[in-house]
Amino acid sequence: MTRFAAWFTLCALALAATQARAEQLIVALSAEEVRITSNFTGTSITVFGAIERDAATVSRAEFYDVVVSIKGPPETVVTRRKDRLVGIWLNSESRTFVNIPSFYAVNSSRPLSEVTTPQILKRFQIGADDLVFPVSAGDGAQSAGQDDAFRQAFVRLKQQDGLYRTEAYGVKFPGTEIFQTAVQIPANVPVGRYVVTVYLFRDGAMLASDQSEIRISKMGFEQFTFDLAHNQGLIYGLICVILAVFTGWLAGLIFRRD
Amino acid sequence: MFIIFGMGGAVGFLSGLFGVGGGFLLTPLLIFSGISPAVAVASTTAQVVASSSSAAITYYRRRMIDMKLAGVLVASGVVGSSIGVGIFSLLRRWGQLDLVIALCYVTFLGLVGGLMLTESIRAMINARKGRPAPLRRPGQHNWAHGLPFKMRFKRSKLYVSVIPIIAIGVGIGILGSLLGIGGGFILVPALIYLLRVPTNIVIGTSLIQMTGTMAVATVLQSTSNYTVDGVLALILMVGGVIGAQFGARVGAHVRGDQLRAMLALLVLGVGIRFFVDLVQTPADLFSLATLAGDTR
Repeated sequence: MTRFAAWFTLCALALAATQARAEQLIVALSAEEVRITSNFTGTSITVFGAIERDAATVSRAEFYDVVVSIKGPPETVVTRRKDRLVGIWLNSESRTFVNIPSFYAVNSSRPLSEVTTPQILKRFQIGADDLVFPVSAGDGAQSAGQDDAFRQAFVRLKQQDGLYRTEAYGVKFPGTEIFQTAVQIPANVPVGRYVVTVYLFRDGAMLASDQSEIRISKMGFEQFTFDLAHNQGLIYGLICVILAVFTGWLAGLIFRRD
Repeated sequence: MFIIFGMGGAVGFLSGLFGVGGGFLLTPLLIFSGISPAVAVASTTAQVVASSSSAAITYYRRRMIDMKLAGVLVASGVVGSSIGVGIFSLLRRWGQLDLVIALCYVTFLGLVGGLMLTESIRAMINARKGRPAPLRRPGQHNWAHGLPFKMRFKRSKLYVSVIPIIAIGVGIGILGSLLGIGGGFILVPALIYLLRVPTNIVIGTSLIQMTGTMAVATVLQSTSNYTVDGVLALILMVGGVIGAQFGARVGAHVRGDQLRAMLALLVLGVGIRFFVDLVQTPADLFSLATLAGDTR
């Protein structure tokens, strides 16, 4: 139902707006807040949009491309590589990536390489290959290049966890100027602010972009235990101990034989 | 979740059957089932509190505990677990925690399993030949009794130096918080052979030490490493205490030396599994660890 409601508002918006310069993007999200409750098994965020053109813009043979990216809150991650030492595999070399998106999804109407030029992809950091990977001081380079083994491993592992994802043909055009895409949010997503960016391209040139935000937060019992464990570690630990002693005592009481 | 409950139950059954704490079986099981070693160790710590406190209450009721000795052991155990948790965070930062946990388990499980197996096989051979098991009668004093700072423990009828007691307490504390084990299988022999604590008191006393030390370790892990998973621990506790009851009942019908041989094989098996994981080429050479980030 929400999907249809969003559709209607979009269509209405597209009709109502008249004072636009060239192409503009109107974007609507199926949800602006995702609540992680204890039975959360992942969800999908649908991004709707309309491309709006003012009367002055000549109607060309239309062939729009749309790229939708969702970036999760930044985090600092150590990527470690195991090496063999006297027959035993152990972590040896490592690289620390600073301020790297914890979640990154890119959906596009065509593969990114067909949508636009590598220069533009790099400039706007579109796609996991073109994200800047800042490396913490002491690891040598300022940021890791595309062919860096640690960087490649990072992206691969994130993809395995479903936290980095791309869908080359994920953006659909139900009408010539209306697009839609769904981004899967797995159950293991980190909480925080997610930035949704929509880019509009034609013939490789970026015409417009739009940014909006989603909040992903834990709710109820999940929120309570998460907060307690991370902010009030002492109390959380004490509760665990009390619980443990209580369980032990209760078991002794139930199964008492003497 | 049901798998974890089942594991808690199975380990509880084994611990009831063999009369051991079960931490040194539970932590490896959790690690093998894909839970990160850091979380497995810290959550098992909480589980050990539950199982050992349950047993400790029983022993307390029967007055089979030397409270003074237990007090000294707990105090030094707390120091030990603080050190242990410190080492734990340090290793985690260096990315070598998993390795150290695995190495320690290989060493301990290999050693303990090997010793138990030879001992139980010898006992079985003796039993078959109709000879009574050789009763080891240790002398009344050894080097541990010659050290200074002596203290009198009335309940255990002991007058010994506190140095070996503190050393044992600290050692078990470090080991326990690092590996998520109660350490009973080291503590009990140490108290018997090193300090000559009477056998009827030793188990209750060591249970108190385990409860105290592991309780402190749980709180410390939770405060400094955030690795205690309360839900996981609770499932393990409930499964564990229920399993232990059934285990104890079955255990009463099996012969002691056979039980020990079975346990020894189990312990060796787990040790070998750790060893194989260390030596085998890992499926993925790379791993990720989140250090910090705005996760809110």
